[in-house]
Amino acid sequence: MANTVTQSIMVVGGGMSGLSAAIEAAEAGYEVFLVEKNPYLGGRVAQLNQYFPKLCPPYCGLEINFRRIKDNPKVKVFTLAEVESIRGVEGDFDVTVKIHPRYVNEKCTACGKCAEACTLEIENPFNYGMDTVKAAYLPHDMAFPLRYVLDPSLVQSAEAQKVKEACPYDAIELDMAEKTVDLKVGSIVWATGWKPYDISKLDNYGGGAYPNVITNVQMERLAAWNGPTQGKIVRPSDGQAPQTVAFVQCAGSRDENHLPFCSGICCLASLKQATYVREQYPDATIYFFYIDVRATDRLEDFVNKVKADDKLIFFKGKVAKITQDDATKSLVCRVENTMTEELHEIPVDLVVLATGMQPTTSETPLPTPVPYDEYGFVASMDAMPGIFAAGTTRTPANVAECVADGTAAALKAIQSVVRR
Amino acid sequence: MSIKVDPNLMKDLKHFGLKDASKCFHCGNCTAECPLSETGTPFPRKLVKYAQMGLKDKILQSSEPWLCYYCGSCSDRCPRGADPGETMMVLRRWLTSQYDWTGFSRKFYTSEKFETMAVLAVALFVGLLMLVFAQEFDWQNASLEKAWPAAGMEIADLIMAAILSFFLLSNVWRFIKFSMGDLLTKIPLRIYTSEAKELVLHFLTQKRWAKCEDRTQWVIHLLIMTGYTTAFILVAVLLCGGLELIGLNWDALRFQRPYDPATGRDVIYPFFHPIRLLGYYATIAILIGATYALWGRMRRSKAPYKNSHGTDWMFLVLLELTVITGIAVHILRLMNIPFAMYALYILHLMVAVPMLVLEVPFAKWAHLAYRPMAAYLKGVKEKYYAELEAQKAEAPAEAKAEAA
Repeated sequence: MANTVTQSIMVVGGGMSGLSAAIEAAEAGYEVFLVEKNPYLGGRVAQLNQYFPKLCPPYCGLEINFRRIKDNPKVKVFTLAEVESIRGVEGDFDVTVKIHPRYVNEKCTACGKCAEACTLEIENPFNYGMDTVKAAYLPHDMAFPLRYVLDPSLVQSAEAQKVKEACPYDAIELDMAEKTVDLKVGSIVWATGWKPYDISKLDNYGGGAYPNVITNVQMERLAAWNGPTQGKIVRPSDGQAPQTVAFVQCAGSRDENHLPFCSGICCLASLKQATYVREQYPDATIYFFYIDVRATDRLEDFVNKVKADDKLIFFKGKVAKITQDDATKSLVCRVENTMTEELHEIPVDLVVLATGMQPTTSETPLPTPVPYDEYGFVASMDAMPGIFAAGTTRTPANVAECVADGTAAALKAIQSVVRR
Repeated sequence: MSIKVDPNLMKDLKHFGLKDASKCFHCGNCTAECPLSETGTPFPRKLVKYAQMGLKDKILQSSEPWLCYYCGSCSDRCPRGADPGETMMVLRRWLTSQYDWTGFSRKFYTSEKFETMAVLAVALFVGLLMLVFAQEFDWQNASLEKAWPAAGMEIADLIMAAILSFFLLSNVWRFIKFSMGDLLTKIPLRIYTSEAKELVLHFLTQKRWAKCEDRTQWVIHLLIMTGYTTAFILVAVLLCGGLELIGLNWDALRFQRPYDPATGRDVIYPFFHPIRLLGYYATIAILIGATYALWGRMRRSKAPYKNSHGTDWMFLVLLELTVITGIAVHILRLMNIPFAMYALYILHLMVAVPMLVLEVPFAKWAHLAYRPMAAYLKGVKEKYYAELEAQKAEAPAEAKAEAA
């Protein structure tokens, strides 16, 4: 342990991988700093309607993890925080963390009086912009930490003072400033996850201009009870129930012009979402347009189960073009049935694009050099001595794989600070 | 029905320029992306599949390669970089060699050495003929009419036209037989004749091309096509103002006019004479078109220009040289520089004739027949099937009426 100045571990990213890494390391007895960019923990899993393949709500799993953090004084959570710089070597890293102001302090009880007083609304990032939320808001119902946030646009507005005065607990600090925190850590777990591939680049699918062409992550919000429609799957253009829903696979994946790799989860995610549609609309026609169905091991059982639905059409062929009727906002998918060589133009009411997983590190790399693969994923879990990549930072993965990967990274991080 | 598989087809197609077809994973994006692809004639993926599987006969029966105008949007949007547009181009080359019963085309496409030697051989032969049959070289006055009188050139033109037509038409007949199969005789003649105007229309306008996303290629092709057609009419059909051999000619339309006995020089039309203006149009149109295509291929500026086979270069280079030597002859005659003009005129024909003789029946230029024919036969088939459908719809109605 000659070079180890500290045995603290920093975990960057509070999604499924980072949460798991942080909790496992802390429960093994190590001090952990968990740095999260959002004002809440849980990442993209918190935005799901149902876990796969058990089809249960994600909140129960997250709740258990939040409980474990609450009970463990070894975990220190920084939200609205980003790592600015990393200097030093394994066992002795100096890290600077920038923390954006929340404008709400720990006195907040989440009573909601500030939101009541606020009239300013912002696009709701939790629902991928499908609705708006008050500029004084709780990120979502089960947000952890359970504390409101003020959007900077509200703080600068004339309404700010009124909102502050509405708080009965003196929890709002309009003069809260950005601050930096210097940490000394022995090892680092990087788990900044992924973002859905930008649909504005998919000009053949409308590039985001067609209201009834949504992405798979938006579909999760649309189907969720706490989503923009309280769980009702409807067309964003007119709120009508769709008669025909198309799932378009590999939207920007397995494509040299976009993400060249397979994200691995979208096939089953779309089939899971097909069950959301079927539950609400027993008579709806559902198209599943695919190149190949990538279902490994027992996941094939799920595919077979869904296939039994005779109004769910497994259509082998990649949709090349989607056109919109400007009056009705209904859509037509132009696609070749590659089994029969027939060309089809299929009218549908709602399209769900299975956009792939783009690694966050492809746009926001680590502030210290580590090797990446050609797609921007960190090349391996052992990124550099003392720095470990977990979950979708290093490869596309589902939730269960992320939990396992976070745990593995925690062990590596512990070994890194202990074994010398 | 048995299906024959040729396991060496992909290897063979490589000689025709095939590169990336094996990368295709059959998502169908290209076929659905293509603005020309239709339910009855879907392409290009189907053809890529045939190639990968070695289904030679299926390709031979397909007319789809001739329905594709290679705008390149399928290649640009291919998720695998399998370049389906290029595969269609390769299949057009391969099909041209298959339709040709002499086997010459295959050699021309698969061996650059053979290709070069063939062009050189024809060029030398033409040069020799020009020297042998030259009448009078007037070294004071540059006169084409004295050296090679139009009446004699007309006979040479007719012989060449007969040979070329024989080879091209026999190859076209094979194309029709392969692509129509049993339907050829099943479809009533009435439908063939009623659609005949489409054949002419497609030949003259390539109107399907207008449906492509990038129309520049169509415009460039129209320039080359109209330019060349104009030039062909002037120098071949109207050289003597028609068929002088049988007296069917009009001196007013004569492209190569008799020389003036007083000056000893060729009589040239005034600048604004329609025949001379048409000549200028042809020159400029081909020059722009061929230069654009050559420049594009050199810079690989877009999908259809990214991969160039030896025969693509040969065709464009010969075309460009034909125009340049033609311009030189024109200028040298106006400047009255006899030796250089005679030499350039021989060179002009040493370029133009091999291009015609080799490319029209056996290579790239054969598309002038296959493309309009494919579009026409597609229309014939569609009309035939539509009539069958209509009959089927009527038949039960009649049966019902009888029962009543």
